[in-house]
Amino acid sequence: MDNYQTIGEFTRYLKLMFDTSTKMRSVYLKGEISNLKIHTTGHMYFSLKDETSKIGAIMFSTSAKKLGFTPEEGMKVLVHGRVSIYEATGNYQIYVDEMQEDGVGNLYLEFEKLKKKLKELGLFDESHKRPIPKYPKKIGVVTASTGAAIKDIISTIKRRYPIVEVYLFSSLVQGDGAKEDIVRNIKRANEMDLDVLIVGRGGGSIEDLWPFNEEVVAHAIYESKIPVISAVGHEVDFTIADFVADLRAPTPTGAAEMAVPNLSDVIDMISSYKIRLNEAITKSYKLKELYLDKIKNSYIIKNPLQLTLTKKQNIMILEDKLNTLIKQIYKLNEIKLSHIIEKLELISPLNVLKRGYSLTYKDDAIVKFKDISKDDNIKIKFDEGIINTKVVSKEKL
Amino acid sequence: MKFEEKVTKLEEIIADLESGNTSLEDSIDKYTTAMKLVKECDDELKKVEEKIAKLVTEEGIKDFEVEE
Repeated sequence: MDNYQTIGEFTRYLKLMFDTSTKMRSVYLKGEISNLKIHTTGHMYFSLKDETSKIGAIMFSTSAKKLGFTPEEGMKVLVHGRVSIYEATGNYQIYVDEMQEDGVGNLYLEFEKLKKKLKELGLFDESHKRPIPKYPKKIGVVTASTGAAIKDIISTIKRRYPIVEVYLFSSLVQGDGAKEDIVRNIKRANEMDLDVLIVGRGGGSIEDLWPFNEEVVAHAIYESKIPVISAVGHEVDFTIADFVADLRAPTPTGAAEMAVPNLSDVIDMISSYKIRLNEAITKSYKLKELYLDKIKNSYIIKNPLQLTLTKKQNIMILEDKLNTLIKQIYKLNEIKLSHIIEKLELISPLNVLKRGYSLTYKDDAIVKFKDISKDDNIKIKFDEGIINTKVVSKEKL
Repeated sequence: MKFEEKVTKLEEIIADLESGNTSLEDSIDKYTTAMKLVKECDDELKKVEEKIAKLVTEEGIKDFEVEE
């Protein structure tokens, strides 16, 4: 009989085994909620099951209050808790302290992982972000051809800047094949000469927006030669596409507003340029006119003779200098000349006359004996005077 | 020249003229250029024809009407 234990004893033993096991103290499970009962105290009783098995679960109100969603029958969830045995029934069950929606949870982890990876790869770098042209001529839109997004984009553009051309690249934006289709359309858009590309869709559940969290889409946006404005969902949700895009718009309408200016603003701006140009040129004219007046009224323009007067004075001074110089040179030469004359006089035949000789002239030229004939009228010049005479006879010595 | 470049050029010329540091000949040249740009911009902005959105398909480009 001693070998037999009571049920209570055995159950307490099992419970101790569970409670002392570190494995049992922290268990992660995924499964589907069934038999959900929420007690008035706030405690939740349910089962977690999959295709083959089932486990009882309890979540006390202190933990249940912290849930960010309302658990529902059939919902796939991820839970954490400890596994123990309920003595009264002998059932083991999980005491859940944390629970999140499956799928979403996975997606969230995936999102964070990809975000980190792409950030490290430099896909979010500010230096890679290109400016959005202020006055585009052609805008591409990658989104679904049905739905609110394209409608909002087109109506916003028509209202603000109807002179721009909009090219729609109709794309799947949710579900299977969406990411591939978005990538393909971004590439097709890049074959055209577009100024800016809006990539996005209207709001939806996180699963609906998921294609915009895909790595291939991120790379396609990064590699787009056309600047990209992302326009996914409604305000709050950031997608990977938002981080990679050159500009992030909270909504498709927002994207259209960022992509184009307001036409009337631009017209006003050009008009104001026109006014400023005219004012500037008029002012410039007036300034030059004032300057011209100043010159016109300047002393020298008003008294132009003043300018020549100084020049004239300079010339007169030069003239004086020149005269003095010439006079000096002249005097110097005069002295030289008188010296030469004195020297010449020394050897002059006229000087010989002073010594008692005479000169004979015929027809005012000095003549020799042979030049004179009988009856010639000749002049004999002495030192003191001249004798006019006629040759009576001629005898050769 | 792209519209954006025209606007940039206009802004430059205006700043230049407003500074008053340009010669009269230069001012007139620049003013003439700028007024030409103003006219071109005006013309571009006032093109009355409203653009219809286009759908780019594999088969080509066609007009796109939003389904109501």
